[in-house]
Amino acid sequence: MPDGQLPVLDVRDLKTVFRTRRGEVHAVNSVSFDLKPGELLGVVGESGSGKSVTMMSLIGLLPSPPAEVRDGQVLFGDNDLLKADEDTLRAIRGARIGFVFQDPMTSLNPVFTVGYQLMEPLRKHMGLNKKAARARAQELLELVGIPDAGRRLKDYPHQFSGGMRQRVMIAIALACDPEVLIADEPTTALDVTIQAQILELVKELRQKLGMAIVWITHDLGVIAGIADRVMVMYGGQIVEHAPVKELFGNPQHPYTRALLGTVPAMHGTREARLRVIEGQPPVLDAPPAACPFRARCTHSFERCERENPPRIPVGPLHDAACFWNPATGGPRDA
Amino acid sequence: MPDGTPPNKLVEVYDLKMHFPIYGGVLRRRVGEVKAVDGVSFDIHEGETLGLVGESGCGKSTCGRAVLRLYEVTDGAVKIEGENIADWSAEHLRKVRPKMQMVFQDPQASLNPRMTVASIIGEPLDEHTRQSKKDKLNRVYHLMDAVGLNRDFANRYPHEFSGGQRQRIGIARALALNPRFIVCDEPIAALDVSIQAQVVNLLEDLQEEFGLTYLFISHDLSMVRHIADRVAVMYLGKIVELAPRDALYDSPLHPYTQALLSAVPEPDPSLEARTERIILKGDVPSPANPPKGCNFCTRCPQVMDICRQTEPEYREVAPGHFTACHLQDGQPQQQQQQQATDAGQPAPAQRQEQSQQGEDT
Repeated sequence: MPDGQLPVLDVRDLKTVFRTRRGEVHAVNSVSFDLKPGELLGVVGESGSGKSVTMMSLIGLLPSPPAEVRDGQVLFGDNDLLKADEDTLRAIRGARIGFVFQDPMTSLNPVFTVGYQLMEPLRKHMGLNKKAARARAQELLELVGIPDAGRRLKDYPHQFSGGMRQRVMIAIALACDPEVLIADEPTTALDVTIQAQILELVKELRQKLGMAIVWITHDLGVIAGIADRVMVMYGGQIVEHAPVKELFGNPQHPYTRALLGTVPAMHGTREARLRVIEGQPPVLDAPPAACPFRARCTHSFERCERENPPRIPVGPLHDAACFWNPATGGPRDA
Repeated sequence: MPDGTPPNKLVEVYDLKMHFPIYGGVLRRRVGEVKAVDGVSFDIHEGETLGLVGESGCGKSTCGRAVLRLYEVTDGAVKIEGENIADWSAEHLRKVRPKMQMVFQDPQASLNPRMTVASIIGEPLDEHTRQSKKDKLNRVYHLMDAVGLNRDFANRYPHEFSGGQRQRIGIARALALNPRFIVCDEPIAALDVSIQAQVVNLLEDLQEEFGLTYLFISHDLSMVRHIADRVAVMYLGKIVELAPRDALYDSPLHPYTQALLSAVPEPDPSLEARTERIILKGDVPSPANPPKGCNFCTRCPQVMDICRQTEPEYREVAPGHFTACHLQDGQPQQQQQQQATDAGQPAPAQRQEQSQQGEDT
């Protein structure tokens, strides 16, 4: 990834809170990251870590109330998306920022044909007439590898298999040549052999189209295969961030290290017992005053109870929000 | 399981078929059937874990449920401790139910939200035993200890627990009647990675403590490699390969197994870059209308003419290693496989060659 390029998306200090009857849930706490043109940024975390909410906050897709984006900046081109009005957002969503969600069945409308749903953004955002839109729609289905594309435009979502539906979703997301594609667990609902097809397709499309991608997943294997850079999220925060080889080869945060240890290997020695992360994810009912991982961490010490560690640089392009230094086994100077 | 000891077969399944009728037309006549499970045979030895893997819709869950006789099976035999329960009546089955239990995928859906944890875990005791209230409660506490649940939570409701804890409740319920055999149907699929490991370790501990036998149904191939002693791979209602764990993962014989294993992403970028994936074309055919010949012939990268004509026989090609594939029929294929096995893991280049030769034949 060439450095020094201006980011297409620059997120600073994002905070999102849900107001519920039982009080507030601090789902995203001061998340900052940027996205360079053409790169694939992987976001890894477990359910409730804030990875989806972060991305939904960016473009105002969260229902408000209960959600409230309390603070931060999202710079996309000349706009701060958090300050933009609904019309501006609508012109950006689906056109310049595309989305693919986890479950293709619930994100496609069952009562419209796939062709209609593909042509909708083309006509609304790009102002194409019906004929041009249809031609472009067929081209898009061909691009994502759906055979007999012209005929399949007339089919309804239920007439497609899961993998084919996800291809349709990708085609819709790509319809207006977006600069940024946000993919939220796009292969989680799919079988491994179909997942392999989709991953292959995405790699191919990146080369052809060159958009920047944010790929949200809980599957470390998927991330290892496609990402350039990875952010690990836990308890609504980014706990570690590094280029993909660095993250897997030299993980620094105890959570990342533990997470990598819990996945059983497909090759080589088989461990007699799986390593576990004891305990449960944190309850996010207040702004973080201490490290969110401290209760489950095997290295936590007194300072972790007192302060929430900032993201400390630990190597080139590599930072970790942790006071513990795996190299020395003691506290980190920060 | 130590190798060499003569294994005692706890479960024997022979040519099990589970077909679901399709009704259609104006008169709602039977117009066809979904062959969800279409003639599978396997044994499970006492104290072992048999992994059953496959993609969604391949019939692995139906197979697990049919083995426990949660369905009226269409055909075939299911022997538990030598007794064929395939055609037993519901009444008769009730007597053997305590021996065989099930852990379900979704702990949210399989626990009654209006019952407390104690009553959920104690329900099998109410149904099948005549213990006093006090004995029952003691047993419930004991089970909660065994699965790592705090006794103080006995009067709470399922929604007050996290996913991993709910799965522990489901496991405690399955253990209540001292079963010998448990079908675990995707027990970890709904859980987060860090919680999956906790549940799998618990299942292993319980197996050791109580001498349980598991049929572990999962689509997670790396987890099955961890927990299973032997592994069966299903595709479109049939077992395509069954082998001891290491044989299956190190030298898979069936092209579907090879593709399935190669499709699993590795959490290691350097390894990931070197792996040559076998990408299967297309989707799984409908089990209502399976292709003629071999079920896998529509997607197989090594398909031959014979595969589209005749169904391959499911047979033992090496000790304990069963597969149903025409590539294993003749002499040349076996030699070829021999070379691959000698070289350990078949290298991607070799696989390519194989596939080309397969097409040429």
